[in-house]
Parts: sequence; C-alpha cells; structure tokens
Amino acid sequence: MVAMVLAATLALSLYLPLMSGQLSLATPGFYAIGGYVAAILSTKVIHVTGPYPIPLILGEMILAGAGCGVLAVLIGVPALRLRGVYLALATIAFVEIVRVLSLTVEFTGGAIGIFNIPQPFVTANGIEYLLIALPMLICAALFVYRLERIGVGRALVAIREDELAADAVGINPTRYKVLSFAMGAMLAGAVGALSAHFLNTWNARQGTFDASIAVLAFVLIGGSRSFVGPIVGAMVLTALPEGLRAVAGIGELPVWLATLLRDGRVIIYGLLIVICTLNFPQGLIAPRQPVRKAVKSS
Amino acid sequence: MRQHQTFNPKLRERTVAVVSAAGLLLLAACGAPTAGAPGGSGATSGEPIPICFSVAQTSNTALLGQDQVVGAKIAEKYFNDKGGVNGRPIKLFYEDTAGDENGAINAFQNCINKDKVVGIVGPTLSQQAFAADKIADAAKVPVLGPSNTAAGIPQIGEYVSRVSAPVAVVAPNAVREALKQNANIKNVAVAFAQNDAFSKSETGTFQKTVTETFKLNLVTVQTFQTTDTDFTTQATNLINSKPELIIISGLAADGGNLVKQLRELGYKGLMIGGNGFNTTQVFPVCQAQCDGLIIAQAYAPGLDSAINKDFIAGYDAEKKSKLPPQLTAQAFTAVQVFVDSLKAIDTKTKLSGMQLADIRTALNQQMLLGGKYDTPLGPISFDKEGEINQGKFYVAQVKMTSGTEGNFNIIGTY
Repeated sequence: MVAMVLAATLALSLYLPLMSGQLSLATPGFYAIGGYVAAILSTKVIHVTGPYPIPLILGEMILAGAGCGVLAVLIGVPALRLRGVYLALATIAFVEIVRVLSLTVEFTGGAIGIFNIPQPFVTANGIEYLLIALPMLICAALFVYRLERIGVGRALVAIREDELAADAVGINPTRYKVLSFAMGAMLAGAVGALSAHFLNTWNARQGTFDASIAVLAFVLIGGSRSFVGPIVGAMVLTALPEGLRAVAGIGELPVWLATLLRDGRVIIYGLLIVICTLNFPQGLIAPRQPVRKAVKSS
Repeated sequence: MRQHQTFNPKLRERTVAVVSAAGLLLLAACGAPTAGAPGGSGATSGEPIPICFSVAQTSNTALLGQDQVVGAKIAEKYFNDKGGVNGRPIKLFYEDTAGDENGAINAFQNCINKDKVVGIVGPTLSQQAFAADKIADAAKVPVLGPSNTAAGIPQIGEYVSRVSAPVAVVAPNAVREALKQNANIKNVAVAFAQNDAFSKSETGTFQKTVTETFKLNLVTVQTFQTTDTDFTTQATNLINSKPELIIISGLAADGGNLVKQLRELGYKGLMIGGNGFNTTQVFPVCQAQCDGLIIAQAYAPGLDSAINKDFIAGYDAEKKSKLPPQLTAQAFTAVQVFVDSLKAIDTKTKLSGMQLADIRTALNQQMLLGGKYDTPLGPISFDKEGEINQGKFYVAQVKMTSGTEGNFNIIGTY
C-alpha cells in the first residue's frame, strides 16, 4: 500500500515536466538524492533515541525537496534547451552521474549504501507511513489539479502543444519549462526522503536507469494527459505483481494455476503491459472528450 | 509532441472495465491474507511445519537465488525423508523477493501474515536484508540470512541471524596462504567491483589485512563494474604497479574476465580471488588462466563429514554435479539450523501444543543458545547477536583439469 502511494507520487513528479512536453527521465536521480539527504541527515547528523519524530521527517522532506528544486533549476536551464529524445538522453546521463557518484563518494556508503535509518513507527508492516505518504499524494494531486486550471498550467500545456505558438503569444518557454522541471524534482526529492525511512536503507540501486523506465511506464500506462493517469498507472503497476501473488495464494485454485500465477507472475505482468499499450495507446485514463473537441476546433 | 487522436466511443467503457478489474485485483490482494491462511495459527499434529524460503527467484539477482533454491529443495527432501521434526514434516514456502528492497519487504510480509511461518530464510542480498529484516524483527519472526555478508546484519535486531560468515572473517586467510607460497611478497595490488556491495565490503577487509595485519605495500587500488567486459585499463594499471600479488574482489563473470586479461597481458605472479569466485561458474570464464588462483571459501565441497556427503549426494541427484556452490550449501545449512532447533524445542515441549508466536520466539532463543550444529559448512554455532561462529574456513587453489572444468584443491583449513 505504502509502496503504491509512493510510486503514484513519484509518477506525478514525472508528469509535471511532461505537462510542458518535456520528456524528462531525471525523476529517479532526484528521488535518489532526496533519499540520500534523509538517510545521511537521520543517521549521521541528527541523533535521537526512541522512535524518530515525524516533524523531523517532514523537515527532511522539505529540505530534500528544496535542494532538488535548486539543483533542478541549475541543471534545467542548460538541459532544457534540448528537446524530445535529446532531453531524455541528457536526463538519463544525469541519473547515471548520480548513481556513479553515490557509488564512488565515501559518505554515501558506496555499493552497500546507508542502513539502519531510524524508524518513526514501531509496528511490523509500516502501514503507518500512509499517514505521511497519503496526505503528500493528495496535496500533490490537488496541486497539479489546480495547476492545470490556472494560467501557469495553461501556459505549460500551450508549450506542450506548440512551443513556437506559445512563444509567439508571449509565454516564455524556458522559464515555464524550468519551472515544471523544478516542481517535478522537488516532489521526487520529497518522495525519496520518505522512501529512505520506509525502506530503512538507501543505496545506489534506488535511482537507476531501470527506475526511470519503470516510472515512465507508470505515466504511459496510466495516461500522460491528465494527472489522474500517472496515479492510476503507478498504483496498478505496483500492485499488480503483489496482486498476482495473492491470487496465487488462494487455497481453492488448482495447483497448476497457482504455480503459473506465482512463478509466471512476471510474465503475466509483462503481457498485461503489452495488452494495455496496444488497447489503450492514450493510457488507461484517456483525456476527456470536451478537451479533445476544444483542441480540434481550434 | 503533437499527434492526431481519433475518438473511440468504446474507450471509456474499456477504461471503466480495466479500472474495475484492477480494483478487483487490489481487493484480492487485500483480502488474501485471511483467505489463504493455511490452518490458521494452530499447528496440529502431523500437519507440516511452515518455514519461509524467501530469496530472489526473478530479476538479475535470480542467478544467486536459483543456487539457493536448489539448496533449500535438497534440504526439504532430505530432512523430511529423515523424519522431519520428530515425525512432523516441514513445508517450505517459496516467496520471491525479486532483486529490490520493496520486493523483499512484500515477500517477508507474505511469509509472516499469509503463510504464517515459524521462521524465514532469506533474503539474497545484504541491501535487501537491511530493508526487510526489520519487518520480521518487529513481528518477532526469526530470520536466518543465507547469503548476507555485509557488516551490521545480525545487529538489525534480536530476531536476525545469519549462516553466511561476514567477509571480514573469511578473506584474510587467503593472504596468509599466498604468503606461504611466496614469502617475498612486498607489493600488493587490489581491484574490486565498485557497484557490488559484497565486493565493496570484501575489498575493505583485504586492504586492511594487507596494510595492517601483514604490513605490506598497497601499491594500487583499481575499480571496475560487475557489468564491465573490457578490463584493459585496470589490468595495465595493475601490472604497471609491479605487484607480487593481486587481490580481486568481484563476481564470477567480471572477476574471471579480469583474471584472464591479466594473464593474457603477461602477469605471472600470484592472484587471490574473493569469495565471489567461489563457484564453478568462474571456470568457463577464465578457462586455463584460472589455474593457480587462490580463493577463500566459507564452504568447501571436499569437507569430509557425513552431512556434507549426504548433501553432495542430494546435489548430485538434483544437478548431476559433485561440486555444489557455496550459496547452495549455505541455503541447505540455514534450513538445517531451523529443523535442528525445532527438533530440540519439540523434545522439550511438544510444538503441537504451542501457539505460533511462542514457537517463533522459542525458535529464535534456541538458535541463540550457542548450541553446535553439524552442517555441510562444518560445525557452526551462533553468538548472542545471531552472528555465525563458523568452526572451519578453507583456502583453495584452482587446478584446471580441462578447457572449462577444474577443481578447488584445499590448501589450507582454518
């Protein structure tokens, strides 16, 4: 459950730059940085006995978000001169740089990473993390929902639909593109900070190219034209392998079916993704009709 | 990014269908723990005792996990044939952790809440252990790590133990053997796989052993990635530093290739391979150039004991080979420790009369009592934290017999 909510928030952070048409795969890089910020702060800087106070986690999340935001502006200004697949390549490079740096630099613990990150809750299943993760997702979703309906959001969509035209009507594309890139980075950083506590450990395997593709799949399967799409996509794709495992565990199923569901669940998962992509090229949550009409008539 | 879209009136319907199907799946996921519980909490006489074997059966870590599953399967069959736990069979639940931390957490939660096991063997990687073991510890379910070698694993909690000796204990023995073969070693060069947690820990131990224990010169430290295939730069740098001994911490494919390329570039001196080399998979990689490689082992197939012979016979029946890898032996050992401990508890108080929570606690306490277990790894016991005290370690030297086949000849036992 917590993993689902965290994945959904992460998918939203990739959706933000996509709002302005920027295919950025940098999300896991910022996610990794956010996680390291929280991991290092809570294990090496702050020492508390007993359960780790929640306000401190929120503080770490804000700090990680702010740090990632600043970094995103610094990276975004030169990088966002690139478009489409070239931007995607540049952001993949960024993710690789973060990964190799965290393997090489001493204070990130190299390949072993940082472990024994203090826990705010004492029970076994970590379900209490929803207390932080769910409000974060709801806030982020509300924020994006509002954003789509105010001037800034419309400017972003205008850039996505036609950058030249947007520029011609007085929208500064660079400014808005960097803005959406930085907003996505801030969200990813905050998710990373929370994930580090949730996972109890943080290492270089968290922010990799594989993770970039996974998050991109969340957005593409869910639908990239509305903020509901990434959330649904992330939740479905995160829950699916576990759902299949649970279905396999139901006692009444014949043995062969249970075995297929358990051992072949990765295959089924892959098949479902292919079927979804073929049948719903727009994503599970397709854009609503009125928007489409408006675009067509214009 | 502009594209023409054709409106499909069925799309909405389909969307609804898919979303509701996904919802159903979610419901199944939430509902399953109650539906799938085998026999509730009570363990009745004759009913199998559930133990979870939770390693990476999918993802790129599955290469290691598959070796472990073989060990578990041999153990399940072997101990059930020998009467299980005083007449009651054991049943292993295989919960796949995949290769990441989230997967390990999910698998452990399934073990604890759905399978309702008395103990868990797993996960494969140390990084996964840091994430998942705390969940088992909080639920008071004993975890036995079959292959977690990083420092700090047993310290995660009271209920966490391991049968895989930390690298700090295994590695130095190999350097000692190398010095026996060539007393003139002064300069030592080190190379390690930077992106592998195990190699990173191991090289730290090796470097400390070289500089502090034996007061040798560490002339260069080279890094590579487990995904690399061309090691010309590292091999040249290693050779140019004129070492008499090269120590490599890596995994079979990358490490084996580095060994091969070092020999091809003309290096003649001694070489030590870390524990990652302790698998027959390395032979096809470096072939004839493997010859003479010194390897520290936590498990040696050549160990002369009844249980090891039974284990090798089991492996031979399963895999048609008499050289089981270390991971398989450690997985077997982990299951054995649970079975032997359960037997000891059952002899004192019948397990069938105990609540599940009490069995879990008793099992953990039994292991930490410090009693000896005679396993394929040799005699082992656990200290109060759950760290393994392994009686015997081995140093082997590779002797190639043909193009891609060879043997580990034991040259020292510690």
